Amino acid sequence: MRSWEDIQAGSFFEANARERAFGIVDKNTFTELLNPRDRQASPHLPVLGEAIGFDDGIVTGVGLIGKRPIFVVSQEGRFIGGAVGEVGGAKMVATLKLALQTYEEVKKQYPDSYQDRLPAVVISFETGGVRLHEANAGLLAHAEVMDLFQDARHKIPVISVIGSKVGAFGGMGFVAGAADVVIMSEQGRMGLTGPEVIEQEVGKDEFDASNKALVYRTTGGKHKYILNDCNFLVKDQVGAFRKQLTEVLEQPFEQIEQYRRIGSMELVQEQIELVDTAAKLEPKDAMDIWKYFGNEEPAKLPELSVEQFLKVAKRRPRKN
Amino acid sequence: MALRVLEFKYKADNPVTIAKEWSHLGVVGSGDLEVLMESKDLDGWLTVKVVTPVTGFDKVWDLVLGKFANESQLGNVAMEINDNNATPIVVSMRLRQALAEANKLQTEGE
Amino acid sequence: MDDKSMQREWNTLKMDTQERLKKAAPYAKGKIVSAKDTVALLEAVIKPGDKVNLEGNNQKQADFLAECLCNVDPKKIYDLHMVQSVLSLPSHLDVFEKGIAKKVDFSFSGPQAGRLAEFVKDGKVELGAIHTYLELFGRYFIDLTPRVALIVAFEADEQGNLYTGFNTEDTPVIVEATKFKQGIIIAQVNKVVEKLPRVDIPADWVDFIIPAPKPFYVEPLFTRDPALITDAQVLRAMMAIKGIYAEYGVTRLNHGVGFDTAAIELLLPTYGEELGLKGKICTHFSLNPHPTLIPAIESGWVESIHCFGGELGMEEYVKERSDIFFMGPDGTLRSNRCYSQTAGHYALDMFIGGTLQIDKFGNSSTATANRVAGFGGAPNMGCDAKGRRHSTGAWLKCGQEYGMNEQLIGDLPRGKRLVVQLQETFREKLVPGLVETLDAWKLAKNANLDIPPVMIYADDLTHIVTEEGIAYLHKCGTIEQRMAAIRAIAGYTELGLQADPKETRELRKLGIVKTPEDLGIDISRATRSLLAAKNVKELVEWSHGLYNPPARFRNW
Repeated sequence: MRSWEDIQAGSFFEANARERAFGIVDKNTFTELLNPRDRQASPHLPVLGEAIGFDDGIVTGVGLIGKRPIFVVSQEGRFIGGAVGEVGGAKMVATLKLALQTYEEVKKQYPDSYQDRLPAVVISFETGGVRLHEANAGLLAHAEVMDLFQDARHKIPVISVIGSKVGAFGGMGFVAGAADVVIMSEQGRMGLTGPEVIEQEVGKDEFDASNKALVYRTTGGKHKYILNDCNFLVKDQVGAFRKQLTEVLEQPFEQIEQYRRIGSMELVQEQIELVDTAAKLEPKDAMDIWKYFGNEEPAKLPELSVEQFLKVAKRRPRKN
Repeated sequence: MALRVLEFKYKADNPVTIAKEWSHLGVVGSGDLEVLMESKDLDGWLTVKVVTPVTGFDKVWDLVLGKFANESQLGNVAMEINDNNATPIVVSMRLRQALAEANKLQTEGE
Repeated sequence: MDDKSMQREWNTLKMDTQERLKKAAPYAKGKIVSAKDTVALLEAVIKPGDKVNLEGNNQKQADFLAECLCNVDPKKIYDLHMVQSVLSLPSHLDVFEKGIAKKVDFSFSGPQAGRLAEFVKDGKVELGAIHTYLELFGRYFIDLTPRVALIVAFEADEQGNLYTGFNTEDTPVIVEATKFKQGIIIAQVNKVVEKLPRVDIPADWVDFIIPAPKPFYVEPLFTRDPALITDAQVLRAMMAIKGIYAEYGVTRLNHGVGFDTAAIELLLPTYGEELGLKGKICTHFSLNPHPTLIPAIESGWVESIHCFGGELGMEEYVKERSDIFFMGPDGTLRSNRCYSQTAGHYALDMFIGGTLQIDKFGNSSTATANRVAGFGGAPNMGCDAKGRRHSTGAWLKCGQEYGMNEQLIGDLPRGKRLVVQLQETFREKLVPGLVETLDAWKLAKNANLDIPPVMIYADDLTHIVTEEGIAYLHKCGTIEQRMAAIRAIAGYTELGLQADPKETRELRKLGIVKTPEDLGIDISRATRSLLAAKNVKELVEWSHGLYNPPARFRNW
């Protein structure tokens, strides 16, 4: 693997799951749990004649940011599109459980100073959701992860980082959005039904998946930032993601919890209002919404660097 | 057509092992593979297990791995490869990169 | 004096043209014909059996006129002989299906290659010949002169002057051949304006102007997304740069389109810089405005580029780099396929590109058993032009190394053009790239062609680069030695497995085969991290925002 410094300076988009996991925490603090040598490959793929991976496409482990143990899940899009199967799903679930256990232990061991030692969970998404070859187990994993997100509420922060090739789609699009905080790069994408599936089901007139500019301004980081579906937009660099993550974790937990999109009646109400707005607006393109939220020259936004964009972009106002 | 498991072994004249106890490199993307190397007492042998969906290239695997074994003189190493249709050149490149990774000096702080 | 000569009418073509123009007059206001009258216009000026040129190449297309030609009445217009650069739109073949056209002479048929093969087999198309671009252009002036040419331009003025701008491409050569043999020129334009930015085709060479309902189609054929370049391509690029570009000091060249050459372009500012090659290689190109060349241009590698055609999204970048590109006083690129091909033929020292299959002798082809794909311009680039007389370092060195020179021309020194193929031993899904016999033989049988279509013949090919090594084929003194050199770099293909290790060692000693190791290249270094730009966005950044990629390439 490249050195931690090389990974920090390099592209998040180009980095593989293991490099992202290693690079998202402090230097050389990452320990992989169920590493390739443990050979936890899918038991289902061999009978189907499909290639297997020692990590089943999901890297899990723990590292540190400051004094805080950071439990990391990192999905690998190059392996079956990052689709979540039985083993990978179980690894996600176990990592969340371990984080919650650690929370209890840290609290017990440091009753007076546990605040700055609180664990956190970071998930680097790169997936289209369920792996169809082992769909039941994959779906179950989705449900269990969602459950554990609820268990983590008011205890430890769960943070989504999205900036890899496949994006976060399908059921995992829901999961990513249900975290406390979402950090994206403009190359990151988040959504439910993937562009190719929309085109296939409804037709090219509805959504032209080969028009990448359209795909990105409908699902990409800048759009999600304007809509406040993503809380922070960073440039495509592992170090930039880590820096943003570190800054978020320095904030009081009460503040971090304010970043959520769902999880209370008020937040659900806010989402419903957004749906109402969209219905009234009948946007033909994401740019219509950007304009609605105060961006006078929406066509220019995709062309701006992240720094320039963050200076000028107007976002959907949050209620709280 | 289930996945296939191929096993090979090679013996070097003057076997050299890897610096790390174990090492891993690569991602099982389409046309790519991952390599796991473990240092083991194998009486000087290099053993290789390949798991692959590809049929009809068993001889080529043997040639590519044999060439690598000959050039590297690896011995007392157990190697496992998960393959997804990698071409011979990709296999050769990954093997060399995996060997470099397995012999990397431990970085500071570790 | 010969009486017959006195009695003969010597200006029938001119009279026939005047007659046709008279029939067309009711549809035209001045030279302008409205889109809805186009079919009627075509029926008025075209006669059964005419040779008709429909402009279009692998980039721009007279797509509206192609559609209209399909809608003429096959009872009035039939048996046309189409002479055109490419068959790439569905309409280019529909016109045969409807019985309007009968015969075709062309150069390239990429997207329609499968359907064309079927048409030929079913007797729906009578195939004249498949040409290279220059060869077809040449025949326009000899025995394939169009009677009517249906061309395309960006803009026209009321008088009929045309502005072909960024995508001039084939237009001048078609118009010249047609008009000066008394033919008729009909142009579809995106709009009619009062004053053109510049005049590319003068009004009195143009008979009718049709403002088309939609801007003409342009294919961004030369855009390669760096995100899709593989590590193996990086390796071949490193080998080519060190083993060929640096070895021969190649300054004047053409790059075939593909990811292999894109990798070379993106390695110049990194690996090339490291080898200290700036200014010593890659200074002058015949090349379309490849977006992947932007980092090398911006790093000061390139002095001059003449373009066959334009490339969508490169308009502004090219405009701001007038020291590098050829352009009009209006500040827009002037591309010209015919001139660029000629330059490629005579003024370049190297062509380098990829192919689908190379056989055991070194002949290469992109033909598969069921696709009549044609050639385009690659064979014009990928050959040793026999008419060349001036010398350069690279050309002389290659000539000095030529192992068969003495057997052919005795003791006279002569240079040789470098013709290089970059080839993967295996493509995706483990399909071999080096083979015993080309699929072109099967195609020749299936489509009833006189000869198997070969892109580059073995006697023109000087080098093959695979991941296994470079074969310096021109150094070989016999065909047996060439075949051994090809086997030596054919890796684990059936062909490569026949290589005799002893013979390969001998060839390496002679410098006829060089492995990455012989070249001093560490293959574990060959990763995407060497690319000067790893995605389209970084190309935009290199261009200071001047490159404006088409939507399909924008992942932001």
